[in-house]
Amino acid sequence: MTHPPPPARSWVDTALLDTLGGLRDRVVLWITAKGFAVAIALLVSLVGKRRMSHDNGIAARGMVTILDNPALPRHEFFRAGRTLPCRIRHATATFLDDAVRGIRSMSVKFSDHHLRSPFDMQMNTGAVSLFWSAASFLQFARMRKEKWGVEYHDYYRKYPSGLAGAEEAIRENPKSFHDLRYYCKTPFRFTGEDNIKRYAKYRVRPYDDQPETGINHHPDPTDVANQRVPRHDPRGRNYLKYEYEDRVGKEGAKYLMQIQLRTAAADDDPEIFNNMKTWNEDLHPWHDLAVIDIRETLDWKESCRTTFSIRNMPKTLGVLPAKSVYDYNSLNYMRAHSGLAHRARLLNYALFGYPPKIPDNDNRNYSDWEKPPRIINRSYPSTLK
Amino acid sequence: MQSDNPTGKRVILEVDNPVVDPRDVCAECLNRTKIRYPDGGNFFTPRLRSINHLEVGRSKIISSPVTIIVEYVVLLYQRTVEGVRRLLRQLFPRHPRIRGRNFSGASFVGRTTYAGRYDHGKPIHHLPVDIWARTWWGSWRHLASGVSGKDGTFRLPYDLREARSWAVRRIRAEVSQISFVYDQRDQPRPVHSVAESIHVPKKELTGMEYNLRDIQIGLWAYRRDTPIPRTYINDHDHDAPERYVQGRTDALQDQIIPIELTKLKHLAQLATAPESLSIPQIQADYPLNLTTCIENTLPPELKGYTRGDEFFGARMMNGMNAASFRPDPDHPHHYWMLYWGYQGYDHNDVFAFPTTEIKYSIRPGNHTPLPVEIIFTGALDAYHRDPWQQRRFRPGDGARWTYAKRVARSVGGLVAEVDDHFAHTHTNTEQYALAAFRNLRLNPVNWLMQPHLREVSLVDHTADRILVSQRHGYIPRASALTGLGIQQRVEDTMGVLDWKGREPMRVINDAHTYAKAENLFWNITREYVEEFFERNLEAIAEHWYEIYRMSEDMVNHSVRVFRSRIDLDRLDARERKMMEKRITYFESRYSFDPTLPRRTVNGELKILSPITESETFLDAQPGVLQNLKDWCVYVIHTATFMHTWVNEHQYEDIGEVLYSCLGLRFGEGPDGVLAPESDYRIAPDPVRATQMMWWSNLLSRTEYGFITRNEDRDVNPRFGEMLKAHEEEFRSYGVIVDDIEARTNI
Repeated sequence: MTHPPPPARSWVDTALLDTLGGLRDRVVLWITAKGFAVAIALLVSLVGKRRMSHDNGIAARGMVTILDNPALPRHEFFRAGRTLPCRIRHATATFLDDAVRGIRSMSVKFSDHHLRSPFDMQMNTGAVSLFWSAASFLQFARMRKEKWGVEYHDYYRKYPSGLAGAEEAIRENPKSFHDLRYYCKTPFRFTGEDNIKRYAKYRVRPYDDQPETGINHHPDPTDVANQRVPRHDPRGRNYLKYEYEDRVGKEGAKYLMQIQLRTAAADDDPEIFNNMKTWNEDLHPWHDLAVIDIRETLDWKESCRTTFSIRNMPKTLGVLPAKSVYDYNSLNYMRAHSGLAHRARLLNYALFGYPPKIPDNDNRNYSDWEKPPRIINRSYPSTLK
Repeated sequence: MQSDNPTGKRVILEVDNPVVDPRDVCAECLNRTKIRYPDGGNFFTPRLRSINHLEVGRSKIISSPVTIIVEYVVLLYQRTVEGVRRLLRQLFPRHPRIRGRNFSGASFVGRTTYAGRYDHGKPIHHLPVDIWARTWWGSWRHLASGVSGKDGTFRLPYDLREARSWAVRRIRAEVSQISFVYDQRDQPRPVHSVAESIHVPKKELTGMEYNLRDIQIGLWAYRRDTPIPRTYINDHDHDAPERYVQGRTDALQDQIIPIELTKLKHLAQLATAPESLSIPQIQADYPLNLTTCIENTLPPELKGYTRGDEFFGARMMNGMNAASFRPDPDHPHHYWMLYWGYQGYDHNDVFAFPTTEIKYSIRPGNHTPLPVEIIFTGALDAYHRDPWQQRRFRPGDGARWTYAKRVARSVGGLVAEVDDHFAHTHTNTEQYALAAFRNLRLNPVNWLMQPHLREVSLVDHTADRILVSQRHGYIPRASALTGLGIQQRVEDTMGVLDWKGREPMRVINDAHTYAKAENLFWNITREYVEEFFERNLEAIAEHWYEIYRMSEDMVNHSVRVFRSRIDLDRLDARERKMMEKRITYFESRYSFDPTLPRRTVNGELKILSPITESETFLDAQPGVLQNLKDWCVYVIHTATFMHTWVNEHQYEDIGEVLYSCLGLRFGEGPDGVLAPESDYRIAPDPVRATQMMWWSNLLSRTEYGFITRNEDRDVNPRFGEMLKAHEEEFRSYGVIVDDIEARTNI
């Protein structure tokens, strides 16, 4: 499809209109990000004691060592041989049930503190995402409409890219959190010691590169919205967390963190920031960046407390600026503005206690704690006895 | 509708040394029976709502003054609304230019598919899809445009910022059908009519792909309740895939109201005092037709010409029947003509419908055929029902020869209506229209064919109800054939109608003006098609896929070959002989070539030959282009000339109840239908008589949409010019060029 060239405008008109339009777009973006963060903080975190989606997880601690990789431009933060304590957290998105068909995540924090850190990274399974901008994410949230383990049905119907992202990212009955691949998807800034501006994407894979499990190679597009636990599935609600505890207890868990770089240019196509499109790996190969060696899992409370934020980054590695809610970088912009929600949740923990552990019972496909007796401190009756 | 023709429209009489030249009488009658309604009526003249409200019984006309006033107010309101809409369209025109600067990050995707239970999910290719935004102040912004692909899918890039602009109030996606209007010769202008419109919530546009999903459109579906390829129309006013143009309805209203009122008066009179109305009185209440006019005009010594041998032969050769003559192998200058009667079709026991074979003497030169023998096979009275009984009549048989000719005319009338009119021109054209409308869009053949294929599905749907159906139709009540019998007969007739190998009728002698006119029209049509292909060959080849899809639809939905359903080995000798004769005559009349390769689908040998079996022109076999040209010539010829001929001559040949009708009743007499016209017991009863006059007037007098007049500007003016260039030659064959319809719509 070709389109006729737009009517010629003088550069003054263009500059004026673009400036005014750009200003308006940035205001809308700021209001959207702040408003969303406030809404989540008040309605989900403070009142509901919830993260936005990844409540069902397990945290662990260990050490991260930056590798000496001459293919990478030198960067003051990623100095070769640097070793830092770290925390990670694996989670299953949305549902309080490990056996559902769902997206799994891994967040990394280059410190052993539950909140503060010089570098945090949040990643999910799948090389592409289910949404691509702030506007898209808001639609994604609006169209969740979860019921009995089925969600995003309308969203997938209207957004084929979202459906493709789900097919790519959802894992069904993986053997372990450890053997999955996790991608940050939306690029970040990377300005090395050579002062050349670059964009970076991160991913984590098992150090021994064992094959990934849980991939559905022939997904049924009409059934992607159905994330329910298959009937007669023997796996329990916490099987992944238990497996991970066992694994770390026996042999530890070792990961390789990789980075993909591309040099910025003034005439870059905005599509390079699109998290629905992977970069060409022949032109922009993955480079080994760091080894994450996990030695101890954390208990439920510490897992709840451990919080990640992509604001925790050096300036040279931070979030790329976004111009509007349709800008692909607006997604990270919104993530970076979610600190208020984190603090609200931690405040709730401090005032009213932690949420109960997820019980090993047959109430499957839940994305919320069952029958909460109180709004403020949701708890599970059987766990109170 | 007929037009002025001072030289006489048809040469029909040949009388030695007449006191009054019958040709002058004929010319005068043709002029007098011309249709004219100079008075358009006054405000309270009854009106017809639309062709969809016609009934053989009581059509839904508006006659009450109160209703007329209310209807006028409603009409006024509708016109006001339409006027406001027209004003808004002028104030806020839709500029085709696509708005926006960045089309890389967002697109609408979806698929156009057929709606309905059976075609569900089947893609519709090459449908135009447009995305329009409406601003808060009413103006239109064109956001995206394109056409669906072969698999029905489309992807329309758009500028996200333009779509999400604060100025935009709402957005909609429109899927259109394309028709064409000729503002200039050879340069059609596409006109889009919205087939489906979908509201797109503006806030849901977030970039990347927005899925409009399967857009299900109720376009041109095949009926599944009949083996004949017919268009699915449940309700004329709601789910028909096309609409009559307003001019068609207006033409109908102008012509039919006086006829309708006459019929209503007769029906009311027959309901209250049936003895007060006779068939001659019914006849007298309707406008004169050719035969009544001639009989009224001729001097007493020439009365009865219309029942004479010359007139009989002339009408059979050049009238509505336009019969085919097969040479008698044993006698030079002798020919046979056949009308197939019951032949196992579902029928009633009230009307006679014997198989009729007529032998003519046809001399070379300008001589009309003279019947020399008529053979009936089948029952002629209520007491002898043996279907194989045979009766022969010759001119020396006196009055019985006259009776036999009347029976032959009536059998011929029914055969012409069912075989030649309904099956050959209506349903035959409809099967091509259906395949073409389902598949032709971007291919220039669409411009060529569309004006000739419009409205046939609509009028066939009406014909199903008012003429064919057992419950409401006229023919099952006024002839031997039941509704089922008509369906069977139409299927069999279509079983010999193939576009491939079709040739116009061979000219027998100089008096055979029908065949001459048909050949002339055929040749002009071929020339017109050749010219069109020369100009548009590249685009035709580029969009060959549409031709392939059309051919596939056409072939796969066509009826089985007539002869393939007959197992001659299971017939006894008598049946076999008759069937072989029938197959031979049938296939000869419609130029059917049984040796052509044909496709078998679901165990049925399909009648229609494929145009092409390749999706692309480059892969196609040699000869496919010629196939396509032949197909175009055949379909245009059938939809225009062939239909015009049989349709406009109806009122001449079955416009007098006692001269010819669709069925003579057996009556109670020992001779059955072999009785004089004064025996009304064998004629149609008065209700059927007035209904027959009504519909023969309806069909012949309400034509609309002519090639040269080009009322809707949808026919390439070049075609009209080519016909006009041969106007005098056509006139010499009794054909008025301006009266040839561009489409089959009545």
